[in-house]
Amino acid sequence: MIEEPELFEREDGNIRMKVVGVGGAGSNMVDRLMLSNPPGVHLTVLNTDQQALANSPVLDKYCIGTSITGGLGAGGEWEVGREAALADKSLLEEICQDVDLLFITAGLGGGTGTGVAPVLADVAAKSGALVISFVALPFTVERAKRSQIAQNGLEQLRDVCSAVIPLPNDLLIQESDSEASLLDAFGQADAWVEKAIKSIWSMMHKTGLINLDFSQLRQAFSQRAGKTLFGLGEGEGEKAVDEAIANLKLCPLLHTPEFSKEAERLLINIIGGPSLGLGDVKRIMNTITDEFGKEANVVMGSVIDDAIKDRIEICVIGTSDIRAGSPYLTRRPSKSKSENTLKPAENKTEEKPPKIKKITHARSIKTQQDEFAFNNSDPKGEFENSVGAIFEGQDLDTPTYYRRGVKIPL
Amino acid sequence: MYKSKVIAGVDIGTSKVAVLLGEIQEGKSLNVIGFGDCSSRGVQKGEIVDFYEASDCAHAAILAAENQAKVKIDGVYLALSGGHITGRPSVAAVNVTSPDGRVTREDMEHVSAMAKDRDLPENCTVIHHLRRPYSLDGRAVEQPIAMEGERLEANYWTVYGDDRIISDAIHIINDFNLHVDDVVLSGLASSVAVASMEEKKNGVLVIDIGKGSTDYAVFMGGRCMSAGCVPVGGDHISNDLSIGLRIRLKQADSLKHRYGSAIVEHKDKSEKVWLNNDLEIGDRLVPLWSIEKIIELRTRELLDVVRKKLGALARPERLPAGVILCGGTSQLKNIDRCAANVFETRARIGDNGAKASEELRDSQYSVALGLLHYGLHFQSQQEQSGHQGRGIMGRIKGMFQKV
Repeated sequence: MIEEPELFEREDGNIRMKVVGVGGAGSNMVDRLMLSNPPGVHLTVLNTDQQALANSPVLDKYCIGTSITGGLGAGGEWEVGREAALADKSLLEEICQDVDLLFITAGLGGGTGTGVAPVLADVAAKSGALVISFVALPFTVERAKRSQIAQNGLEQLRDVCSAVIPLPNDLLIQESDSEASLLDAFGQADAWVEKAIKSIWSMMHKTGLINLDFSQLRQAFSQRAGKTLFGLGEGEGEKAVDEAIANLKLCPLLHTPEFSKEAERLLINIIGGPSLGLGDVKRIMNTITDEFGKEANVVMGSVIDDAIKDRIEICVIGTSDIRAGSPYLTRRPSKSKSENTLKPAENKTEEKPPKIKKITHARSIKTQQDEFAFNNSDPKGEFENSVGAIFEGQDLDTPTYYRRGVKIPL
Repeated sequence: MYKSKVIAGVDIGTSKVAVLLGEIQEGKSLNVIGFGDCSSRGVQKGEIVDFYEASDCAHAAILAAENQAKVKIDGVYLALSGGHITGRPSVAAVNVTSPDGRVTREDMEHVSAMAKDRDLPENCTVIHHLRRPYSLDGRAVEQPIAMEGERLEANYWTVYGDDRIISDAIHIINDFNLHVDDVVLSGLASSVAVASMEEKKNGVLVIDIGKGSTDYAVFMGGRCMSAGCVPVGGDHISNDLSIGLRIRLKQADSLKHRYGSAIVEHKDKSEKVWLNNDLEIGDRLVPLWSIEKIIELRTRELLDVVRKKLGALARPERLPAGVILCGGTSQLKNIDRCAANVFETRARIGDNGAKASEELRDSQYSVALGLLHYGLHFQSQQEQSGHQGRGIMGRIKGMFQKV
C-alpha cells in the first residue's frame, strides 16, 4: 500500500482528529464531548432533522439531504437516511477532507444513524482516514424491526470502518443502578465514548514512556474488522494497577454477545501519573495479552499525564479478521450489494483502503468468542467482603461455574 | 410438683427469624401455642454480621409470638448455624477394670468423660457431643454396661463453634431478658421435625438448605452420627447467576424462582427467556441453558461438599431411608433429583407432616419446631434423671463467667 507518511504527519506533528455525530443519538454523544473538548479534536454533527440540529451546541453542524427529506428527518427509514447521505456526498467528502482519524458516533436502529453513518465511513475511508465508529444498539425490547435495522447497519459499518464498537443499550442500563433514569443510562453510554476518544487522543498527543504514533495506530487497524474488542478500565491509589486491571476485566463492554473476546491485533494504551513505572506497564501488558489474545499483534502506548496523579487508565481496542465463522458470514450477500451501492461514481484509485481479507482459516475461535471467560481476580459479588468458605482449597463463595471454567453464553 | 413451662424455639436464619412457642406440660407433652416470624436482616451465610439489625428482627419475631400466645417465655432454645461450626470425632478407650471382665457404669462414665475432654482449638465451644455406639473389643454396642469385654472405646462426634459468634447469638436473646436454655445445631433441630424415628433407625440424611447456609445431620440406628454446616445456600445460587449473567441480584433471585432448576432441562442453548418479563426498557433475553447450568453446578457442588464431609457415612448402602431435603432452597425445582444423583439413593423434599398441624407443615418452620421437640426431650430428661442435663449450657455459662 502506498501510504505516504506526509499524508498524516502534519507540519505541527499532530494528526487531525474529527468526531462526527450522526443522527440524534450520535449528536448527543458529541454534545457531551463539547463539555470536555480535548484540544485538537474537531467536533461535527450531522443530521437530517433541521430542528434537532438547531438544539446542538456544537458549532460545526450540517443538515444533509434536505433535497430528500426537506430537513424533516429520515422518519426512521434507513433507506431514506442513506439516500440523503448519497445526495450530499460532496458535503461528506468535504467533512472528511484532511482528516486522519475519524470517529463516528451514531445510534443504530433509526433512520439517520443507520443510513448515513456507513456512507460517511465509506467516504472517509476512501479519503484515507482511519475510521472508528461507536454505535449505540437499540434495547432488546424495542424488538424485531429496529434491531434488524441496527444489525443491518452494523454489518455495513463493519465493512467500511477500521473498528466498530457497539454499545448495547441493554447492557449500559444494566450497569447503572436501578434508580438511574434512562437519561443517566444514556449519559453512561456517552461517557464510555468520551473516555475512549480521549484515550486515543492522549495516545496521539501526549508523550510518555512508550510513544505511539499514528502510523502504528493505522497499522493496527490496517484490516477491516469483524468484531471489535473494546474495553476501558481505571484504577486509583496505591493498588492502581491491580484495580485498573480488575476494572478492565469487568468492563461491561467486554461481556456482551456482540463482543469479541479475543483479538488478533490489540491496541493497548495506558495513561498514568508520574509514578507509572515500566514494571507496571509490563504487568498490564502481560495480563491483557494473556487475556485477549496470546498471539495478538500488540501495539502499545503509555502516556504520562501529570494531571491524573495516582490514577491509571487502560484502554484496549482489538480487532480480528475472524470473518469466517462469524454470524455475519451467513448474510454476506448483502455485503456485496452494499459495497456496490456505496461505491463512488468517480473511481479514486489511489488511497483505496486495503481490501477486506477474506480469511479462510475457519478457526474454532468463534465458540470461544461468543462466550465469556477471564481469569484471575475471582469475582465473589455479594460475598466480596465476607469470610471465604474454603473447601478442598477452593473458595465456595466464588461461583462454581467460574471455578470450573464453564463458559456461560449470554 | 410438675408445672407447665413455655419454651421458645428461635431460629435466626439468613432469610428470616422464625419463632415457635411451645407449652411443655408435666415434662412430657408439647403443645405449640404461638408463632411469629420476621424477615431477617444483618445475617449472612447463617452468621450474624450486624448485631443490632439481627437483634431487632429477632425481637420483633419473639414479640409477635408472645403477643399471639399471650404468655411469657420461660426459656429459649436457639438454633445455630454458620461456617464457624465444625466437627471432629472424639475417641477415648479404657481397659475394663472389674475382675469379672464386665463393663461397669464407672468404666462407661470414665471413658465418656475422657472422650469429651479432648482439647478444642482456641476460642471454641462445644455445641454437641453426639454419641455414637460404644465399641467393646471392636464390636459396636449401644449400651455396654454389664457386657463382657476387655477394652471399651467411646466414640463421639463433637460439634463445636467459635465461642464469640455463639455468644453473639445468645446475647441477642439475653438482651431481650430471656434465658437461653440451650443451643442446638440447626441441622439437628430440623431433622427432628422432618425425619421419622423409623427413618432415623434405618439410616437417613437430612439436609436443610437455607438462604445463607446448609445444615445437615445423618442418622443411623436412631442416633445422630454426624452433623455440620456448609456456609453455602440459596444466596450463592443467586450470586452465581448475578455474576454469570451480569445481572442484578434481585433479577437473579427472580430468575432463580421463575426458571431455576437443579438439573439442566433445556439443552438447546438458543432457548431464551426474558430477564424481567416486563417488556420495559432494559429487559433482555437470557439463555435458559445458562441459568440452569449455573444452578446445577452450584447445587451439585453443594451436595457434593456435604457428601465429602460425611465420608463413609454418606454411602448409599448406609442411607436406606435416603436423603430428606428441607429449608427454603429445597423449593428449587429438581433439587431432589439432583440429590438422588449425588448420593445415589432416593431423595425427597421433607415437611413437618408428622409433627405439626396444617399451618406449620411448611419446612420453613422445621428448625423452630425441632427446637421445641429438642426442648421437650431435654426437659423430660431433666425430670427423669433429676440432675443437670448434658450440661451444654453449663459450658456456655462458664464461658460467660470467664469473660
